[in-house]
Amino acid sequence: MNAGDRFAGRFLIPGGLWLLAFFAVPFVIVVALSFGTPGELGGALYGWYPENYSRAFDPVFLPVLLRSVGYAVATVALCLALGYPVAYYIARFGGRHKHVLIALVVMPFFVNYLVRTYAMVALLSDEGVVNGVLGLDDPVRFLNNPFAVIGGLVYGYLAFMILPVYAALDRMDPALIEAGKDLYGSDWSTFWHVTWPTTFQGVLAGTVLVFLPAVGDFVAAQLLGGPGTYMIGNLIQQQFFGAENWPFGAALTVLMMAFLFVWMVLYLRSAARASQEATA
Amino acid sequence: MRWLRVYVGVFFVFLFAPILLVVVFSFNSQRSLQNFEGVSLQWYRAFLENESLRGSLIASLEIAFVTMVVGTVLGTLLAFGLVRARSRWSGSANVLMLVPLVTPEIVAGVSAFLLFTQVGMRLSLVTITLAHITFSISYVTVVVRARLAALNPEVEQAAMDLGATRLDTLRLVVLPALWPAVVAAGLLVFALSFDDFVLSYFTTGESPQPLPVRIWSAIRFGVTPTINAIGTLMLAISALAIVLAIALPRLLGRRESGIGVLLGREGA
Repeated sequence: MNAGDRFAGRFLIPGGLWLLAFFAVPFVIVVALSFGTPGELGGALYGWYPENYSRAFDPVFLPVLLRSVGYAVATVALCLALGYPVAYYIARFGGRHKHVLIALVVMPFFVNYLVRTYAMVALLSDEGVVNGVLGLDDPVRFLNNPFAVIGGLVYGYLAFMILPVYAALDRMDPALIEAGKDLYGSDWSTFWHVTWPTTFQGVLAGTVLVFLPAVGDFVAAQLLGGPGTYMIGNLIQQQFFGAENWPFGAALTVLMMAFLFVWMVLYLRSAARASQEATA
Repeated sequence: MRWLRVYVGVFFVFLFAPILLVVVFSFNSQRSLQNFEGVSLQWYRAFLENESLRGSLIASLEIAFVTMVVGTVLGTLLAFGLVRARSRWSGSANVLMLVPLVTPEIVAGVSAFLLFTQVGMRLSLVTITLAHITFSISYVTVVVRARLAALNPEVEQAAMDLGATRLDTLRLVVLPALWPAVVAAGLLVFALSFDDFVLSYFTTGESPQPLPVRIWSAIRFGVTPTINAIGTLMLAISALAIVLAIALPRLLGRRESGIGVLLGREGA
């Protein structure tokens, strides 16, 4: 190690220590307490109670876990189906308005997520705007069903799909598409054999970036759904605010992290590879 | 390609309709969320005359400001260390920096909550701010690192050949080139912290609570016009931060746009 390395190496210390103290250590505490037991006066006591984990697979809770995954998968699929064409349009036909258009896509996502979800309630509830316009005697029940929750998740996380897909499409050389057409590929086969594979990295990144927060979400299910649509996030939240079973909440958190770990590693590795390619 | 254009048009309508609804009805003179009766600022008055809600607004701004300052400093230092050092800790530090970005917020919330309660800290604005700084470091590092990686290290070498110390080089050569990214990252983090709900929810004390936590409690009792006013004001504040994040790097005299700097997130 030369002097320059040592000099720069010191800059790792403050941020590194902070993340260690406030991110890594707390997660270790979560794992430790997930084997604990609720204290008499609330809180949690350390111990060895692995049944916190088996309890998660009770017939009462298992459907909630499966539902979370199902909703998250549906959310990813919808985000891709709705978002890819938008990213494609902006990257290929946006011209000099590209930046404005992509800023327009991002802008709603800086409106508070709660307020956006609440806006959907205001639009779609029994007393909402849409039912007001329709003016039926029996209001249409838009909310309190899985579609409403998935719709809320899509509205919440769509930008995380569009941005990486847009970035991949924008990097792609348009001459590739011309070449596909020159070789008598139809629009569709050119897309399928040229554009899609070239932008697949972006799709993968978007998939993970939508999937991870969607699995852990509890806002959409709480505000747009009901007990029948609760996800693992709602279950965790209840353990800390209401049921007061912190160890079970911690166990559910660890389970979720374990399930998502594969996806996180996948994403981080592909991101690391992309950044190496970019600098190489 | 006409159908694609139509689709994108419809897409934007749906994207903005709910938000426009909130903004428009925040100026409604009636309680109704179905009929717009006339323009009035009464819901803003109701919000700002409510002492406890005003306290929440100030709390949210304070948290976001401290998060911005501390997070930007720590994140920028970390970015410099990660790009320029080949230390045996670099790999671990890199992973430690990236994982918070892909961790669902509820996991971070539960972790922070259990940490603070286990070490016996009273939940308050301080605990919220500590939690916010933690995730903001990663955002800043990623944005600043992308910019830093694009700089030519030979320029720094040249400065040192001309007799500058390492610290001088950092101050006089690296930092001026990094400013646009640092400013953009700071404002981004301000907006993220100001808007954050989940982390705040898990780490908040009794009073004052940040605005998103207040909105959460209020929504569960139903839809009220005051929430429209709060939401619109929050929108304005976040939008201001983001517009500055995009515009300031330009004003600072760089040719690349702020949005490009922020999108560096993708390439990093």
